[in-house]
Amino acid sequence: MSKLTEKHNLKGTLVCVEGIDGSGKSTQLALLRDWLKNNGQDVIFTEWNSSELISQTTKLAKKKNLLSPRTFSLLHAVDFADRMKQVIAPALKAGFIVLADRYAYTAFARDVARGVDPNWVRNVYDFAIKPDLAIYFDIDPKISMERICFNRTPKFYEAGMDLKLSNDPYESYMIFQGRVIREYQKMVKEYGLVQLDATDSIHSKQVKIREMLCDILRAKGIEI
Amino acid sequence: MVRKYKTKSGYEGLLVVIEGTDGSGKSTQLELLKRSIQDKSYGVMVSEWKTSRLIAKVIDDAKERNLLNATTYSLLYAADFADRLENQIIPALKSGFIVLLDRYYYTALARDVVRGQDINWVKNLYDYAPEPDLIFYLDMPVEVLLKRIIGTTGLNYYESGRDVGFSTDFYKSFKIYQQKCLDEYNNMKSVYNFKSIDGTMSVAEIHKIMNDEVQKILDSGILA
Repeated sequence: MSKLTEKHNLKGTLVCVEGIDGSGKSTQLALLRDWLKNNGQDVIFTEWNSSELISQTTKLAKKKNLLSPRTFSLLHAVDFADRMKQVIAPALKAGFIVLADRYAYTAFARDVARGVDPNWVRNVYDFAIKPDLAIYFDIDPKISMERICFNRTPKFYEAGMDLKLSNDPYESYMIFQGRVIREYQKMVKEYGLVQLDATDSIHSKQVKIREMLCDILRAKGIEI
Repeated sequence: MVRKYKTKSGYEGLLVVIEGTDGSGKSTQLELLKRSIQDKSYGVMVSEWKTSRLIAKVIDDAKERNLLNATTYSLLYAADFADRLENQIIPALKSGFIVLLDRYYYTALARDVVRGQDINWVKNLYDYAPEPDLIFYLDMPVEVLLKRIIGTTGLNYYESGRDVGFSTDFYKSFKIYQQKCLDEYNNMKSVYNFKSIDGTMSVAEIHKIMNDEVQKILDSGILA
């Protein structure tokens, strides 16, 4: 039985944001962080592929286009496991609000879009703690591309160029990110991700997120 | 899937594994076997545990700085394995080589389980790996192993399982750790059909057994 489907009993609160690049998740998380801090909450922020142990290696390997889908998946799992054991779990035990920019669901979406077996990757991540709130920002791949590629071409892996879907990075991006989105949409039901429309205003999304978080905190006896 | 080749791995080449704990004499036998197969005019490729250009250095560096927990330890080795399997081993098998491996995922199963990981979780990490045509296991009593290692490389931190915390005494910790690894290997013998060889026999005697087994397969005409 995976931890990802069982409620945790730790003192802290875990919030994560998910969605493809350009869906506005980092903006929302930054707003949330500042607001929580201003209200005297203990907050820790952690983001995808940032562990001291492995993130530089992964970035280097990506630059050289060296990674098979499985190696790609395992290296990101190393990064996640390192942050889970050294940062996220201890902070939750100590009662922090942990804000995660991307979580295990990112791996489930991207790796499966790369052809990795869905059960295999879910098993790899079965040590992940279930978030109290997991928000998915749904966006059309075309809008995402317009947002992140207004001054550059899509990068090799973000366009899924390793899958040889198309020689044109823009076309490849559309196909690949379309697959990633379909995987996210399946997880809305599977894991109870809360889906928000990424094209709504920054303000209206933030209001909704704060409301949901306040309800969760109130149930733990914390009023903001 | 239609299997074109009669090898257990399903590829044109042959997959031969030598397993055993540290100091069991694997490298010596691998070298001898490599030469004797080359003498028979077959193409041989050798790959050793933890040698991927991508990840091996990260593992060494992380071990040196004591950065690993049991989960990142497992996943890093799994990433190293995936990289070697997909970039070296499978391409060589497809080209009809006899691939000789110093350790296979049985090593991970033994070590990770001793470090407290769930065996099914570890099995899942490696469930895509092709089945070897031959698995030699060099069986050595723990007392002999201890003498060999102390007499050559000396006891190191991870080989002694100091990270698991069995004992702060190096000798005691090594003995407990290696014995537990031996127990895991013993459990695997029949499950994976190891050809278990008494590691205390002479180098020449062991080589002859291995060479004869390989010859048997070659005589069966599996390889053209």
